[in-house]
Amino acid sequence: MRLLLVEDELEIQSFIKQSLTGAGYHVHTAGDGNTAALFASKQVYHGMIVDLGLPDQDGIDLILQLRKSGVSCPVLILSARRSVDDRVKGLELGGDDYLTKPFAIAELLARMRNLLRRNSIQTEDATHLRVCDLELDMIRRRAIRGDEVLNLSPQEFVLLEYLCRHAGRVVTRSMLLTEVWGMRIQPDTNVVDVHIYRLRGKIDTEGREPLIKTLRGVGYVLKGS
Amino acid sequence: MRSAAWRISLWASLAFAIGSMLVFAMLHRFVADDIQRRSDAWLSGEVEVLGDVAERTPKDRLYRRVVGEVAELASREVPNRQRSSGDENDAVFFLEAADSGAAKLWVGSGDGAANLSAIRSTRIMSDVPFDVQVEGFGAPFRVASVRIADGSNIYLGLSERDERHVLRNLRVRFLSLWGAIVLLGFVIVFFATRRMLGRVREITEAASRIGQSDLSSRVPDTRGNDEIGHLARTLNHMLDRIENTVHQLHTMTDSLAHDLRSPLTAIRGKLETALSSDVGAEHTEPIVSAIDELDRLTEFLNTSLDVAEAKADALRLSLTEVDLDELVRGMIDLYEPCMNDKGLGVQLRSGGSVKVLADPALLHRVIANLLDNELKHLPASSLVCFSLRTEGGLATLIVEDSGPGFDAEVARHLFERRVKGRESRGHGLGLAFVEAVVRVHGGSVTATNRPEGGARLTLNLPLYETDKHEEPHALAMEFNPQFTRNRVREGLNKSSDIPSGAEARLILHRLRRG
Repeated sequence: MRLLLVEDELEIQSFIKQSLTGAGYHVHTAGDGNTAALFASKQVYHGMIVDLGLPDQDGIDLILQLRKSGVSCPVLILSARRSVDDRVKGLELGGDDYLTKPFAIAELLARMRNLLRRNSIQTEDATHLRVCDLELDMIRRRAIRGDEVLNLSPQEFVLLEYLCRHAGRVVTRSMLLTEVWGMRIQPDTNVVDVHIYRLRGKIDTEGREPLIKTLRGVGYVLKGS
Repeated sequence: MRSAAWRISLWASLAFAIGSMLVFAMLHRFVADDIQRRSDAWLSGEVEVLGDVAERTPKDRLYRRVVGEVAELASREVPNRQRSSGDENDAVFFLEAADSGAAKLWVGSGDGAANLSAIRSTRIMSDVPFDVQVEGFGAPFRVASVRIADGSNIYLGLSERDERHVLRNLRVRFLSLWGAIVLLGFVIVFFATRRMLGRVREITEAASRIGQSDLSSRVPDTRGNDEIGHLARTLNHMLDRIENTVHQLHTMTDSLAHDLRSPLTAIRGKLETALSSDVGAEHTEPIVSAIDELDRLTEFLNTSLDVAEAKADALRLSLTEVDLDELVRGMIDLYEPCMNDKGLGVQLRSGGSVKVLADPALLHRVIANLLDNELKHLPASSLVCFSLRTEGGLATLIVEDSGPGFDAEVARHLFERRVKGRESRGHGLGLAFVEAVVRVHGGSVTATNRPEGGARLTLNLPLYETDKHEEPHALAMEFNPQFTRNRVREGLNKSSDIPSGAEARLILHRLRRG
C-alpha cells in the first residue's frame, strides 16, 4: 500500500518513514503542503499521515483542500498542538483519526492499519463474529469458545468485540480507552491492563490456546484466524 | 429594567407636572388680581361719577329717571363682560340708600331688598370696594360706595360672575392642556429611557455572555456619541485587550508545547527505533525506562500547561450537557477491576442523573486524576466512596476514602502546583489540575480530612438548567461520548449495560452504509 507522509521535521519524518517501510508500506514523503498537494495530484494514495504544523500552510487546510479536489483516502493527523481543533474533531467524525505528539510508533502503526481497514470494504456478518474457535453472537450478546458459553459482563463483551474486530492487529491502550470507554485520558495506572487480564482469565482458560497476547510497552493483539 | 424606565419617567413627569402647576398657580393669581384691580378701578370711578350726578341732580321727579339712566349707561361699560350673558342687570346694580330705611333708588334686577340687607350686614370700609354675598346669586358682588351730601350712600355693585367665569375657563383649558402635555411627556420619557436602558441591557447581556465563554464576540456598539456608545466602546476596547492577552497566552503555551513536543517526538521515535533493532537485553531495560520517563515528562508538560491556562481562566472548553452520574459511573467501571486487584473497594451513591454544562474530556481527566490518586496512595482494603447529589443549583461530588488522609503539612497547599506528599511519585499537578478545571467550569473544590479518618474531596459544579437547553452543536454532540452512548443504547435497545464508543462507531458506520 502506498502512503503519503507530510511532515516538516526531518528527524521525525525519517523514523516514521523507517517504521512504516518496516511494516511493509510504500511511503512517499513531503516536507510542506505544496509538495504534498503536488504528490497527491499525481498519484493515488491509500492513506496519508499529515502533520498539522507545516511551514507553508495549516495541515487541516491541506486536508480540506485535498478532499475538495477529490482525494478520499483516510488521513491520520499528527498534532503537536495542545487543544484539539474543532475542525480536527470534524475530520475525526468523517473517518479520519488523530494522534498527538509524542506518540508510540506502535500506536501510529496500529491506528494507520485501523484506518486503512476502515476504508477498505469489509465483509462483515452483522450477527456473528468469528475468530478461531471464538464466536460472538452480536444479537444475544454472548461469547462462545469451542462449545462453552463464556460468562462475560457486558463491559467485557464490548472489549472482546473490539479485539475481535481488530483480530490479528495491535490495539494500544489509548485506542481501547478511546474506542471502548469513549474517553481520551492517559491514566498513569494500569487500569486497562486489568480489564484485559480479567478478560483473558475467562477466555484463555487452562488447556486452551491463548488468544490474547500482550506486546510489552505497546498494547495487545488478539490472534487472527 | 422596565421598572427602571417606569420609575425614571414617573419621577420626571412628576417633577414637570409640579413645576408647571406652580408656574400656572402664580400666573392664575396674577391674572385674577389684575382683573380684580381693573374692576375695582372701574367701580371706584363709576361710583364717584354717579355720586356726583346724584348730588347735583335736583331731587325732583326727574331725579330717579336721570340717575337711573346714568347708572344704566354705566352698567353697559362693565369690564370683563361676557357677550353671552344676556341680562345685563344681572351683573350690575345701582343702589342709593340712607343708613337705614328702604332704598331710595334701585337700578338692577329684582327689588334690591336682598342686596341692601346684604350690604348693610357687611362691614363697610369706605373708599375700598368690598365683596358682598347676596342671597339668590351664585357669585358675590364687588361693591363700591360713596357717601353723598344728603347723607345717603350710593352703592355700585358688579357681579364677580364674569370674572370667575374667565378664570374658570382659564383653569379648565390649562388643566386639560397640562394633563395632555404631562401624559405626552411621560410617554416620551418612558420610551426614550426604555430605549436607552435597552441598549444598556444589551451591553450587559453581551458582556455576561462574553464573560462566561466567548471572548471573541463584542458588545453591540451603536455609533452614537452618547454615554452608552462610549460605554460600549470602552468595554469593547477592554475586551480587545483581554482577548489579546488570552490569545498571547494561548500562542505562548501552544508554541511552548509545540517546540517541546517536536524534539520529544524525535527522541521517542529514535529510542523506539533503537529498541526494535537488535540490541542486547542489557540495553533494552534502560531504553524502555527512558521511554517511560519521556512519557511522564510529556504528561507533565501537558498538565502543567493546562493548569497554567486554567489558572489564568484561559482554558479552552468545548462545553456540552454532561450527565455527571453517567460519567462517574463510566469512570468507576473502568477503574473498579484495577482497584479491586489492589484490594480497594469503590462505590457510587447517586440519586440519578445530574446534568452539568462541561467539557466532558476535561471532566474525564479530572475523575481519572482522582481515581489515580486513590489507587496510588491508599493502603489495601481501603474503601473509596463517590457520592453525587444536587443542592441549591449545585452538583456536588464528594470523594471520600478510608485511607490515612492528607498530610497536615500538605493539606494547606493541596491545590498549588508541585505540592505532593513525601512518598508521592507523581509530579504534584493532579489536584492543581482538578481544582483548575473545576474552577474554570464555575465550581469549587475543597479538601478536608474526615473526622473518622480518611480524606474527603468535595467538588461543586453549577447545575445545567434544562429550561435554558439549547440544541448543542452537531459536532459537539457527536463528540460527546455520553451522547454517543445514549444513541447506542437507543439503537440497540439494551438494558443498562455500559455500551461503548466502538459500538457507536459501528452503528454510525452501518447507518452511513445504509
